[in-house]
Order: sequence, then structure tokens, then C-alpha cells
Amino acid sequence: MNQLLSKLVKLQFKESKNKYLLIIMVLVILTMTVLMPSQFLSGSNIQSMAGQFPEFGFLALAMMLAMITGGIDLSVVATANFTGVVAALILNKATTAGVAPTVSITGAIIAVIAVSIVCGLANGSLIAFIGVPPILATLGTQGLFLGLATVLTEGYSIGGFPLEFMTVGNGTIIGIPIPFILFVVGAFVVALLLNRTQQGFNMYMIGSNPTVSRYSGVNNSKVIMKTYVVTALLAGVASIIMISRANSMRPGYGSAYLLQAILVVVLGGADPDGGFGNIPGLLMAIVTLQVTQSGLNIMAFSPFFRKFMWGFALLLVMAINFIAQWYSDYKRVKKMRAQSASAAEVVS
Amino acid sequence: MKIKQLMRHSETYVLLIVILFSAFVTSVNPAFLTLENLFDLLRSSSGTAILAVGIFMVLLSGGVDVSSTTIAIVGQYISVNVLISTGIDNIFFAFAISIALGLSLGAINAVFVSLFKLPTLIVTLGTSSLYHGAMLEFVGTRAVNVGGLPQSIKDFGSLNVLEVARPDGSTFGLSVFFVILVAVLLLSWFILKYTMIGRGIYAIGGNLEAAKRAGFNTRRIQFFVYMYSGLLAGIMGVMHLSLIRYSNPNYLVGTELGVIAAVVLGGARISGGSGTLTGTMIGVALITILEKNLIMIGLSSYWQQFFVGLVLVMGVSITYLQAKLQKSGRQIIVKEEE
Repeated sequence: MNQLLSKLVKLQFKESKNKYLLIIMVLVILTMTVLMPSQFLSGSNIQSMAGQFPEFGFLALAMMLAMITGGIDLSVVATANFTGVVAALILNKATTAGVAPTVSITGAIIAVIAVSIVCGLANGSLIAFIGVPPILATLGTQGLFLGLATVLTEGYSIGGFPLEFMTVGNGTIIGIPIPFILFVVGAFVVALLLNRTQQGFNMYMIGSNPTVSRYSGVNNSKVIMKTYVVTALLAGVASIIMISRANSMRPGYGSAYLLQAILVVVLGGADPDGGFGNIPGLLMAIVTLQVTQSGLNIMAFSPFFRKFMWGFALLLVMAINFIAQWYSDYKRVKKMRAQSASAAEVVS
Repeated sequence: MKIKQLMRHSETYVLLIVILFSAFVTSVNPAFLTLENLFDLLRSSSGTAILAVGIFMVLLSGGVDVSSTTIAIVGQYISVNVLISTGIDNIFFAFAISIALGLSLGAINAVFVSLFKLPTLIVTLGTSSLYHGAMLEFVGTRAVNVGGLPQSIKDFGSLNVLEVARPDGSTFGLSVFFVILVAVLLLSWFILKYTMIGRGIYAIGGNLEAAKRAGFNTRRIQFFVYMYSGLLAGIMGVMHLSLIRYSNPNYLVGTELGVIAAVVLGGARISGGSGTLTGTMIGVALITILEKNLIMIGLSSYWQQFFVGLVLVMGVSITYLQAKLQKSGRQIIVKEEE
């Protein structure tokens, strides 16, 4: 019970970071608005931003789940590549064979789900049952999945999907891009999973202290297994959005998303050591990143500069987190010293 | 007894796989087991091996370095551009620039790892994006082809320390790269075995807090490790350039998976504190023959990444499964004693 209480207190403490995140987000949006009011606030720009981020937003959701349990999933992009290639092949073959679009699209989505589950089970069993550290397991499966995707396509990109499929990535409902709606639903489901289910609670427990959670009667292996299956499923959803947005798929697509996903998850308050991470923080981090990205785009910065910026931002955020933590610890120690000194005075 | 001891090391198994695979490739294509092909393999894999030594040291200290391939390409691309723009055509100058860059970029990694105590994987992922983006943005994106390459670099790439004559009178030889590799291996072996800093690397990899309390200057050791990895990456950058005679700022980046796979397959534990240089070299040998010889047995190069991933997954699974079984075995013994 004590463990639980202190855990809850700690969670509140960490989530106070969301306050700063909110300030950063508002500042970034204000800066962009002031710098280029006509371009940034235009309806088309907002619409395009809302359509752009979901594909890596889903990868970030996946990465956050892995990080909450104290792991990491380096294979998210590779999983998305692999499932994307499988779906692309099915759509392409079915279209040339003259299968009705509804049938081929359903088939592709079922295939994505099936392949994601297999990928997730592979990661999960390596980590949970064999005990391979998550970094190493997902580093290996990253090569494996990407390799499989490359073998399947022989390095070519695959296109030629039914037109109906394009609406998933490019369509809008009353002006709102469909990927955005999908992402909102996805984020809501993940939030429910984290805050309202036993699985979510256990994930935080394992991330904070696996030994304690095991002795509290949690089946760690099962929880981790489920986590990586959900992670892979989210990567699968990302792949559906990817292939329908680009109308083609090639292995290696979106390799830059790995760093971006880690960046927004860490920016959003998740701790790479596990135990922390929440949806509101992640959402604010994603909005901040997307706004910055669009801003840099409008101002015509090169993609290389953006690559530089993401690395820089990631390191800066982590360094600031460290310094903030160090400072609050320092203050607490100082306060405690002052208290004990005054207590000593009272005694004497 | 000796054999039993050997069988406990995962290096032994990897070595067996290397031998079996070599035998298999030779049976399919006899051109594999010729002195010329072996010299060629040594020449083309020495750079990777040097990079692997740096990554091995980082793993040993309990960290991961995914930025060293990026450091290598930054060192290579900047040094070749400096050579061209200043007109100084000297291989030692190229090495000096590349090594200086490697040391300083390694030191930046160390600042984040050691002073800010941040997770090494995320730090090096961030710095590799930072270094590569900065180079492409501020230095350039144009590849330097063989025509624009300084003569000394081309000469260095074809420098042999040992010449062997073919039956038709032409010669092939053992590249100077191999000598560099041997020198790096000897130096690293000496550091790890006979210096306080080397023992400290094992110590902080085993348990950072314990090493600190035992009086090791952990900060200095971490700076040493990341700067050493950067230095080796700098050396590798120039070697890679004189090997392929072409400098593309997008090369090498993304190959770190293979190098880390090699080191881990060689028996280095990812959580640090355990591993040998011999194992690392065996791991590199395995990855090299996998990458370079799939074509020799008639498989297309698309399979390369798949096989490297597969071997890595299988290798680490066996290692950790073994550890798990040993642990549960020990628990049973303890129970029986009670």
C-alpha cells in the first residue's frame, strides 16, 4: 500500500512537467504565428499539419508504451515497414487481379493486424521469456523485419493501390483529415488502456520496479508480452496511414521517425528508465514537434537542418530534465537540512 | 577440462559457426578459401573491426554507442574536404583531422553520458542525428569522387605490406589496413589488461556505483571510453575513404546495427562488464563473411540485412537463454542444500 501511495505521489510530481510542456507548446505556436501569421494560421496549413503527424504519432504512442515498462522498441519503424510492405503487396496484387477494392482493403488490413501481432509476439517473447534486454532484442528484430521487407520487395517500391484506399490517408470528414481522427481514437484507446485497465497499471508497476511488481503477484512476462503486441499493432496502424498517404511503400520509408518518436516521448515526460509517461504530455510534445517542423518547412530550412535540430532538441530536453531534477533534489536536501537544524536548535 | 571451459564461452560457438559457414561457402565456391580472397576480406573488414573495438569498449563500460559510424563519416568527409581546399596532400594530415574530430565528438557524447547521466543509447542516437545533420547542413552534401580525391589517400588505399605473386606474374598483397588493425588491437588489449583505466572500464561496466566507491574516477573513465571510440571512428573514416576511393556523406550511417551485432555476437554483454577482444574479432569475422559472401553462394544482397538480424536475434537468444537456465539451475541447487 505504501509502495502504491508513494508511486501515486511520484506520478503527480512527474506530471507537473506537463505545466512546462504546455508553456513550451504555447510559446512555439505563438512564435510561429507572430513570425508568419498569414501562412501558419491558414486553414490549409493547419489541415496539412493535422494530416502529417498521425503516422509518426502512432509510432510515438508505441514507443511510449515500451518505455513505460522500462523498455524501448527500436523496431517500431521496421515493423511498420514490414506490415506496410505486406499490405502494399496484397493491395497491388489484388488490384491487378481485379479483386473488388472493399475485399482487397479488408484483406490488407487483416494482414497488417496479423503480421503486427506476429512481430509483437516475436519481440515480446524475446524480452519476456528469454530475458534479452529490450534494446538488444528490438535491435535484432529491427534488422530482421526490415530485412524481410527488403527481401519481399527486392528493394523496389510498391504502388498501384485501389483509389478507395487513398481516402484513409488523404481524405477528410467535414474538413478534418482522416489520419487525425484515427490518431485521436488511437490516443484515446491507449489512454484508457493506461489509466483504466489492470494491464496499464501493471505496466507502470513493472517500469517502476519489476521485482516489486513480481512479488505483488503480477505476471511480468504476460504484461510485457501484451505491451509489445500492442506496440506492434500501433506500428501496424501507422503503416496503413503511411502507405495510403504516399500511395506507395518501400522498405526504409520513415527511418527518421525512430529518432522523432523517441524525441517526443522523452519530451512528453516519459522516463527511459520506465514507470512514467502519460498521454496529455505526449500529445503536447507531438503538437510542439509538428508545429516546429511545419514552421521550419515554411521558412525553407533544409531537411538536414531539421535532422540537426531534432538531435539537438532531444539532447537539450534531456539535459534540462536532468538539471531540473538535480535542482529540485538540491532544494529538497537544503530544506531538510534547514528543518533538522531548526529542530536541533529547539532541542538545545 | 580445457574443452569444457571453452564450451562455456559463447565465442567458441560463434567461432564454430564461422568455420562451418566458411567450409560451406568453400564447398559451393572454392574461390573463397584462397589467400587472395582472405587478404581481400582482411582489407575490406579491417575498418569495421576497428570500429567494433571502439563499440566493444563502450559496451564493456555499460553503455551503447550508435554514433560511431556517424563520427567516422563526419571525420572522413570533413578531412577530405579540408585536404582538397587547403591543397595539403598528406595522408597523416587527413588522419590528424579525422582523429581530432573523432576525439572531440566523442567528448561531446561523454559530456551527456557522464555529466548529465543520460541513457547512452538515446544520447548517441541524438548526437548522431546532430553530427550528421550539422555536417550536411554546414559542410556540404556533394560526394567527392575518385577524380577529386587527393593522391595520397588513393596511394594509401593500395599500399601493401606484403606482396604475393600470382601465377601470371601480377601481384596481390596484404594491405596496410591490417597492420593498423593489429596495432589498434594490441593497444586496446594493453589498455584493458594492464592499465588502471582499462580495469576501471570493466569495473564501471559491472557496477558503476561499486566502482565509484572503490575509488575509480568514473567520470574520467567514461570520457576515456567515448573519446577512444571516437578516435577509432576517426581512424576508420579515413581508412574507409582510401578503401572505396569515394566519399559520400550519406555512407556508413545506418551500418551501426551490423557492427553492434558483431560485438554482441562476440560475447560482449550489453549491460556491460563482460566480453573479450578475441570474441569481438570473431563476431566481426562472422558478420563480414555473412555480408560479403552471400553473393558467393548465390543469394542476392537483399538477404544481407535479414541474415544479420536473424543471426543477432539467434545469437543473443542463445546467450540469454543459457544465462537463464544456469540461473535457474543454481536456484535448484540452493533449494536442495536447504
